[in-house]
This record gives sequence, C-alpha cells and structure tokens, in this order.
Amino acid sequence: MSKYLNLKPKVIGRRSSILGALLFAFFIALSAQFGPYNQTQLANVSMLLIAVLSITLLTGASGQISLGQGAIMAVGGYGAALLVVRLGINMWLAFFLAIFISALFGLFLGLAAARLSGPYLAGTTLVMALAIPSIAVRFEGFFSGDVGFSVDYGVPPEWLSNLVGEITIEEWSLYAVLPFTALALIAVLNLSNSRTGRSWRAVRDNEVAAALSGINISRSKVKVFVCASALAGLAGALYGFRGLVAPSVYPTDLSLTLLTAAVIGGLRSIGGAIFGTFVVVYLPDIIEKISGGLEISESIGTHLPALILGALLLLTVILNPRGAAGSLEHLRHHKKH
Amino acid sequence: MESLLTAIFSGTAQGSIYALVSLGLVLVWRGAGVVNFAQMGQAMFTTYIASQMIQNDYSYWSAFVVALAAGGLLGGLVDLGLMRPLTSRKNSQLLNSQSMRNAIPIIASLGILGILKALAGIIWAGEERGFPGPVQPNPISFGSTNLAITSFDLFVIAVVFFTLLLTTIFFTKTGMGLAMRASALNPEVTRLSGIKVSWVRTLGWIISGTASSLAGLLITPRTNLSPNTLDLLLIIGFTAAVVGGLTSLAGAVLGGFILGYVISFVSVYSAPENVFIAILLFLLFALFVRPQGILGSKEVRRV
Repeated sequence: MSKYLNLKPKVIGRRSSILGALLFAFFIALSAQFGPYNQTQLANVSMLLIAVLSITLLTGASGQISLGQGAIMAVGGYGAALLVVRLGINMWLAFFLAIFISALFGLFLGLAAARLSGPYLAGTTLVMALAIPSIAVRFEGFFSGDVGFSVDYGVPPEWLSNLVGEITIEEWSLYAVLPFTALALIAVLNLSNSRTGRSWRAVRDNEVAAALSGINISRSKVKVFVCASALAGLAGALYGFRGLVAPSVYPTDLSLTLLTAAVIGGLRSIGGAIFGTFVVVYLPDIIEKISGGLEISESIGTHLPALILGALLLLTVILNPRGAAGSLEHLRHHKKH
Repeated sequence: MESLLTAIFSGTAQGSIYALVSLGLVLVWRGAGVVNFAQMGQAMFTTYIASQMIQNDYSYWSAFVVALAAGGLLGGLVDLGLMRPLTSRKNSQLLNSQSMRNAIPIIASLGILGILKALAGIIWAGEERGFPGPVQPNPISFGSTNLAITSFDLFVIAVVFFTLLLTTIFFTKTGMGLAMRASALNPEVTRLSGIKVSWVRTLGWIISGTASSLAGLLITPRTNLSPNTLDLLLIIGFTAAVVGGLTSLAGAVLGGFILGYVISFVSVYSAPENVFIAILLFLLFALFVRPQGILGSKEVRRV
C-alpha cells in the first residue's frame, strides 16, 4: 500500500506538513472568533474540503471526471455508521475503517473506470450517484431506509476540556474534523508531488505519450480512483456524523456541488479547492447578507445560491477554465515579466 | 399472462419516450462530441413553459407547439452561446490536455443544468405539479378483458413513431440530413465539400432540444413535473444510448426500447424500487460486454 501511495515517512515533504499544520492552526484561530453558527459552517468546509480534494486528484491531476463523488461519500458514511451502530465499534476506528471500505469500493470503480473515457465515465458515475442512495431504501432492513442512522460526534473527552476549558458541541465537531482535514491535505500534497502524481498528470495530458514512457495507464487510473474514493469516503463519514446518515444527506446535487467547488477554485490547485469549498459553503450566507435589506420571496431565496453557483461554474469554464487559482498564477507571471 | 402483457405494453410506451431522449443525446454526440447532461434540464424548463400556458387557458396543442419550439431554441442557444465558443478556443493551457478537452463541455453542460433547475425553482416555485395529456388515460379493453394499456399510452406511441418516421425521412431523403450524416462521419472532408459543418452541428442541437422537449411533454403526465423529475429520464436515456451505441441513431432508438422493456419487466416482476439498481447493473453489463454499443462503430470510441 505505502509503496503505491508514496506515503513513506521520508517522502512526506516538509512543505506539505507545514502547509497542513498552518491551515489547521488557521482554522482553529478562526473558529475562536466565531459564534456557534460559523463554527458549524467551518466544520462543513473542513469536511467538504476533503471531498473536493478528491476531485482535485481525480479530475485535476489525472483527468478522470466523476459526477458521483457524493455517492462515494455515502459509501463512507454508511460504512462508518453501520460499524458504529450495528457493531458498536469506536467512532474513530470506524472513520479509519470507512476510509478502507470506500477505497475498496474505489478499487472496483477504478477497474470499471479504467475501461471508460470522458463522457462514458461521467455518465456511469452519474447513474451511480442516483442508484447508490436508492440501495439504502431497497435493503431497508439493513440500511434502515429513508430514516437512516442518527449518529454524532458524541461529547468531547475530558482531557481536552481540562486542557482548553469548556468545549461546546459545535466546537467539538470542528475539532474532531480538523485533524482529518489536515491529514488529507498532507496526503494530497504529497501524492501530487510524487512519482505517482507525475504519472497521473502524464496520463491526463496525453495517454499515448504516457504509455510510451512506460506508465501503465490502467493501473494509474485505478490508483487515482482508490485514492480519491478513500478521501471522498472519509469526507462522507465525517459529513454523516454531523447528525444523520441517510439517502437525503447524500443527494445527486451534492456530487455536483463538489465538482462546482473544485472547478470554481481551480481544478489543478489545492489552494483553489480550499477557496472553492469556502465559496459553496458560504455563498448562501453571503447572499442572505446582501439581500437582507431587500424583500425577496422565499422561492428566490432558496434557489438563488444554486443559480449563482451554476452561473459561476459556466463563467469559470468559459472565461477562465483554470479557476480562481489559475488567474492568481496568471497575475503573478505577469508581474515577473 | 396478464402481467406479461402489462410489461410488454408499458415497456413499449415508456421505451418510445426513452428512445426520444437517447436520440437527442446521440444527435449531439455525433455532431459535437459532447454528451449534453443539460438535455433533460432543457426539457424540464420547456415543459414548465407549456404547463404555465395551459394554466393561463391556452389549449394543450398550442402549449405543445410552443414547448417544442422553445426546446429547439434552447438547444440552438446552448450551442451558439456556449459549446461553439468552448470548442473553438485552443489557446488555453488547460485545454491542451486531452482529457480536459473532453471534461470541459461536460462541466459546462452541468452548469446549464444547475442554472435551468434554479431558474425553474425561482419562476415556478419548484413545487411538484401535475401535467395534463391530450387524452384521458382510459384503459383500453379487448372484448371483456382490460388490456394493460391506456389511450394515453397509444397516443405516446403514435406520436413517437410519427416523429421517428419524420427523422428517418429527414436523414435519408433530404440534403440537410445527408450533410448531418456526412459531418458526423468526417467533419474535415465535409467542410472541404463546402458544407458549413458548424451550422450543421447547431441544427443537431436544435433537433436534439426539440426531441427531448417532446419526451418531457410525453413523460410528465405520468410522473408529474418538478425541477428534478427528469433527471431519471436523463440517466435512462444515457444508458439507452450507450447500450445502442453512442454513434448510431438507429442504435439509440433500439437502446431506448430495450431500456423500456428492461425497466417495465423489472418493475412488474420484481419491484419498482429496484429500477435504479437495475439501470446501473444493466449499464455496467452493457459496457462490459459490448462497450461500443449494439450498433455503434468501434473505432470512434477513443480509449
């Protein structure tokens, strides 16, 4: 496993660890300024960021398009919830097992996906995004149908409360998620700078040239699906443990929102993934703040964020396919010359 | 025996609608090399327009015609306003990469889908509403036994067969149809023979928009209308197109009917909840056994 993922300690770069730690510290510092609502939102950003990073790997680094990352989140969420509810396994252990379950799922998906390209893969993953939540309803006895499982992060451990003072539920769910986000960031940064990451980019840009340089294309595709599914599954488990694991938590729109976040921020950039995730999570709040003075009807209020996200997605694709991160880079280059 | 008849009749009626959807997808794929994931979003939007007209006391048939025209218009606009500029631009670094050239139009079509759904939500409040058919769904009886087919089903089958007939005549007997087939086969040579390939492509988008709009009008009396109802129709249409072969128009129609029978047999003999899983398994099976589709040509699929 470690051979393929390049996660041997000596390979873990200093830069990525520092970046991960910095972001971790930044979120903690940010959360201290926030009320409970924004702490919850920040926790949402940290969870969804992991899933958006999976698209950064899958589409940005390796050029495979998946419209079903939300379904893989469901796999991770159900995996963790079933382990906790049915088998009484410790929550933290269940999170790690959920990573393996979804990675295994990603292995099968990758074996199928290695045969597919572009629109075939997109369509198949979209069918998957619709079909997987319906499995939970179909096998109601095992997956408890539309009702789902009520799960949460529990109460903060005593040593932590003794260390930093009283911790609210909102703070606790944020603190529980952040280490995973930091780990995911470090893993993705390392992967993209490793031999594996370079081979993904080679396959993305020109399959024939990559094959001629000795890269096994199918294996490279399977690998990226395993890694991306592991990330998405972890995100799904964390996302479900906010309170509920049920089909309604992982709708098809979730998959599309994740893709939107990745594209708006910039498919090829990790900073872009962070920016895009903030945009999709905070956009409804921003809109509410701006339109607060105006009298708008309820139907406009609920659908306006989706409209703006769709428009942002289109504008990004037309004007600047490299996303927000791409335009930053562009600016920097112009200054140099 | 009775359930067998039910499955066959409802499979034919549903399959003819799926055939339209898959025909629309294949038309755009052949012309532009794009799978248009916004297709049923466009159909949803035009069906809402028709529904609004009927509410305002226009007749069913005037709403029908307006919805079809709006579907064609929307398809043409998507091509002219979005897809043509996207595919004609080569200078971007991102688009130098093979796989991203495929991915960008898909992402763009998803953006359109999101916008259309949100707009429908804003304009029509997004709640589920019924949509009428031109005839009451009365069961048709043969002698004393009720056949498992309604007069509305017969209407659907008749409309679709008429449309397919028109499409066949268009593609085999008219110069424009010939130009479309030629530019799907080899755009370069067609351009050299003096045919404006980009306009032929736009025509493909227009016909596709009209066909899917028709599919929306025919399916919603059964399923009701909401911004999300037609998502299922899109994935069924996609599966049908893959089963029949993304490059073949006849294959698309064939695939639509096959999917119709698969789905109706699953919901009659198994349970309607199994339909989603059946579609996924059938798609994977088709991709595994014959990835180029039943009537598709092999070399066009670039792996």
